[in-house]
Amino acid sequence: MKCYYCALEGKDSEAVAICIVCGMGLCMDHIIRKDIDVWEGGYPLPSKRVKTPMPRILCPECYNALYAK
Amino acid sequence: MTISLGKRCVAEAVGMFILVFFGTGAAIVTLMLAAGTTPATPFNIGIGALGGLGDWLAIGLAFGIAIAGSIYALGRISGCHINPAVTIALYATRRLPGKDVVPYIAAQLVGAAAASLLLAWVIGPDAVTIGGLGATAPFAGIGYLQAIVIEAIGTFLLMLVIMGVAVDERATPGFAGLMVGLAVAGIITTTGNLTGASLNPARTFGPYLGDWLLAGQSLWEFFPIYIIGPIVGAVLAAFLYDYLTSE
Ligand SMILES: [Zn+2]
Ligand SMILES: [Zn+2]
Repeated sequence: MKCYYCALEGKDSEAVAICIVCGMGLCMDHIIRKDIDVWEGGYPLPSKRVKTPMPRILCPECYNALYAK
Repeated sequence: MTISLGKRCVAEAVGMFILVFFGTGAAIVTLMLAAGTTPATPFNIGIGALGGLGDWLAIGLAFGIAIAGSIYALGRISGCHINPAVTIALYATRRLPGKDVVPYIAAQLVGAAAASLLLAWVIGPDAVTIGGLGATAPFAGIGYLQAIVIEAIGTFLLMLVIMGVAVDERATPGFAGLMVGLAVAGIITTTGNLTGASLNPARTFGPYLGDWLLAGQSLWEFFPIYIIGPIVGAVLAAFLYDYLTSE
């Protein structure tokens, strides 16, 4: 697969990841990595944050849609 | 990693405050509403004078809904035990680290005391003189040992429900707070007019402290009922559940 953004600019770069939301292919320059903390457990015990967060790759547009204030 | 012990203790204190403020508050208001009525028997202290067992159901639901709300709000922070018997049962079955036990119980006692003292202030002197701050004591005809057994059986059911709907990883998610609250409401409906249905040493501690400080009325002789009964019942339920669900 090729990078969608690079294709828009007429470049032809291999995708290294896929946006988990919209599914577009992304090159290294166009990915946004937004890790998610994982919490497990809960009532009647305090929930625990798992040491390693879960990786998540987004494209710039989905990132903006989800997080832009 | 979990949230810091300090914040978890604040959560326990706040949850306990909510339980005692709304739960014992309902008992106080019921006694104030019934003041002036002449109960037919010494077994009737006023709660039950207006609506029979419905009075106890109402008080039970006040406790239960406050508990459910606290569990949904604070459960993931501290575990929202809001009950030293639950804390000890979770420690006894190796679910809660030993170093958390004393701070949790201290926080619960502080939250309960704050709620009782604040109830006395916001409602006024009648909360103490008529409502007794919702303190628990065995009712007429209920002996000391019987009271311990009643508190133990009540807390046994409470802890069994906590094990089944919350501790067990196979439990349907989301129902824990509601079911634990309803279990408390049901237990109070049946055993309220026997022992006061404390099920919780901290819940009894708050009103005892308030009555003692504000009215010089000491009920401490009954305190062991509400320490021994709930702890024995909760620990038994936790071990029984683990035994029944072990391969
Ligand atoms: Zn996207
Ligand atoms: Zn690209």
